[in-house]
Amino acid sequence: MSFFANTQELEMVMKGLWTAIKEDPDIAGPLIKSGLVVRFHYREPEGRLTVDCSDNQNMVIIWGECDIKPDVEMFMKSEVAHEFWRGAVSVPMYLIAGKIVAKGPVNQALSLLPAIKPAFKKYPDVVQQTLNRTLVSK
Amino acid sequence: MNPFIFNCPTKVCFAEGSSSSVAEHLADLGAKSPFLITDEFLLKNNIIAPALSALEERFGKVSIYSDVPPDSDLECINKVAKNAKDAGADSIVAIGGGSVIDTAKVVNICLTLGGDILSHQGLNAIETKLFPLIVIPTTAGTGSEVSYVAMIKHHVEKRKIVFGSKFLAPDIALLDPMMQLTLPAKLTAATGMDALTHAIESVVCEITGSSFSDALATEAARMIFKWLPVATADGGDLEARSNMLVASCMAGSAFSNAGVGIVHALAHSTGARFNTHHGLTNAIFLPHGMRFNQSVAQAKYAQLSRQLGFSKTLDDNEGTATLIDSVENLLKQLNLPSRLELIGVPKLNESELQQWANDAVDDPSTMFNPKELTVQDAIEIYKRAY
Ligand SMILES: NC(=O)c1ccc[n+]([C@@H]2O[C@H](COP(=O)([O-])OP(=O)(O)OC[C@H]3O[C@@H](n4cnc5c(N)ncnc54)[C@H](O)[C@@H]3O)[C@@H](O)[C@H]2O)c1
Ligand SMILES: [Fe+2]
Repeated sequence: MSFFANTQELEMVMKGLWTAIKEDPDIAGPLIKSGLVVRFHYREPEGRLTVDCSDNQNMVIIWGECDIKPDVEMFMKSEVAHEFWRGAVSVPMYLIAGKIVAKGPVNQALSLLPAIKPAFKKYPDVVQQTLNRTLVSK
Repeated sequence: MNPFIFNCPTKVCFAEGSSSSVAEHLADLGAKSPFLITDEFLLKNNIIAPALSALEERFGKVSIYSDVPPDSDLECINKVAKNAKDAGADSIVAIGGGSVIDTAKVVNICLTLGGDILSHQGLNAIETKLFPLIVIPTTAGTGSEVSYVAMIKHHVEKRKIVFGSKFLAPDIALLDPMMQLTLPAKLTAATGMDALTHAIESVVCEITGSSFSDALATEAARMIFKWLPVATADGGDLEARSNMLVASCMAGSAFSNAGVGIVHALAHSTGARFNTHHGLTNAIFLPHGMRFNQSVAQAKYAQLSRQLGFSKTLDDNEGTATLIDSVENLLKQLNLPSRLELIGVPKLNESELQQWANDAVDDPSTMFNPKELTVQDAIEIYKRAY
């Protein structure tokens, strides 16, 4: 069973997390510099999140369908996203297992991984604030 | 024990002269209208003749594309895909080295799924079975005959476009040592070093490796150390050719499951810019990459060194040093250049070096490496390898 009971829970947590990332210049800086538009497609429960850094100035976070053309798209179960942000996912292993699909120039997508790793620390707080649930650290 | 997945969807058939069995295999896969992809040398020198006559006997006239350049590019893919579509192809046969095989894999995506080829790039982005694909490797190095990846050059952006999916693994690999007899000594050595790099890099991929991939990689490395000098010295030695062909296929299966590492990342960044041969570039970076990884991977290197009979010591540092020495001695024995300058890589200024290093660090191969590679690390390795 997924950690997220429904799309609304997923939306609250992912929007909350990306807002926290946006407000932290150390993490947001390299992402904005990349100029990439990345779209996450979640399933079980469903959700779409687009992070648009295309103007190299700002990070725009859009939940749901939108017309902006992404450079890179990542597809995964919501549970995989949850485990990822908890720091419990080995990305190479999940890619080999086919649990993560990366469409687009993968070099660029994967190069952002080290940049977003510091956000793992923010995840438990975001979950606490949005869903009032405490994550037991793994 | 770490969790692992091991998969080899490709049926591997080895026999002297097996290239002429291609038609039978293709018919078994339900194909009616095959398209043959190869390169000019192989066509002109009749190396593909036994396969081609078997195909024509069974399927009538077969359309051929024979203009695949070394390190194929987008332009070539679009051209071949159009030809194959116009010919009404429902299956592909690839006869050639890694460049031809990778071309065939990507053309098969276009042929089966249509659309802009760039829209299919990525990892696991291909999610359906493609048209039947049979490959007959004519070099012994890339392992592309069993791998799930294909890489194509983007000339404008000077980078390689990556396609990775289990559906890219060919249906059948026909290993026929007769196809290798014309491969010149230098290419024999260089492609063989690609295979050795696959074996050695996959053994130290800690997260994704397994006893399955280790067993294949270790045996492949043993065969390569023994037979690559023989195949290079005497290209007509069928036993040596056979062993290299099988070893490179085994190493291909190992790295398809475990991954490769920074040696490939550095070679990809270099090859995309300066058109250096993939195997040759790997050969130069291999000892440097091993030294870089030594602090975290010495137990694995030392174990491999003992398994290959190079050392008996239980001291991991010593065992690793012996393995690195053995690689360097092999390079000398093969008469391969040991520095980047000798293969035409220009001396880079600081900003070019930074860009080159950025591309190496961003290469997906670094993900599987046991030790993180920084831009500064890559620059230092470049300077040492220059
Ligand atoms: N998909 C994968 O898993 C994978 C892995 C490693 C490398 N690669 C790719 O493979 C390519 C390199 O392939 P390669 O090393 O096999 O070389 P290649 O296919 O580029 O061929 C090099 C040269 O060898 C010639 N040649 C091939 N077979 C011959 C034969 N039997 N006799 C005489 N000449 C022959 C070709 O005509 C060509 O000029 C690179 O593009 C690399 O990126 C792919
Ligand atoms: Fe390789």
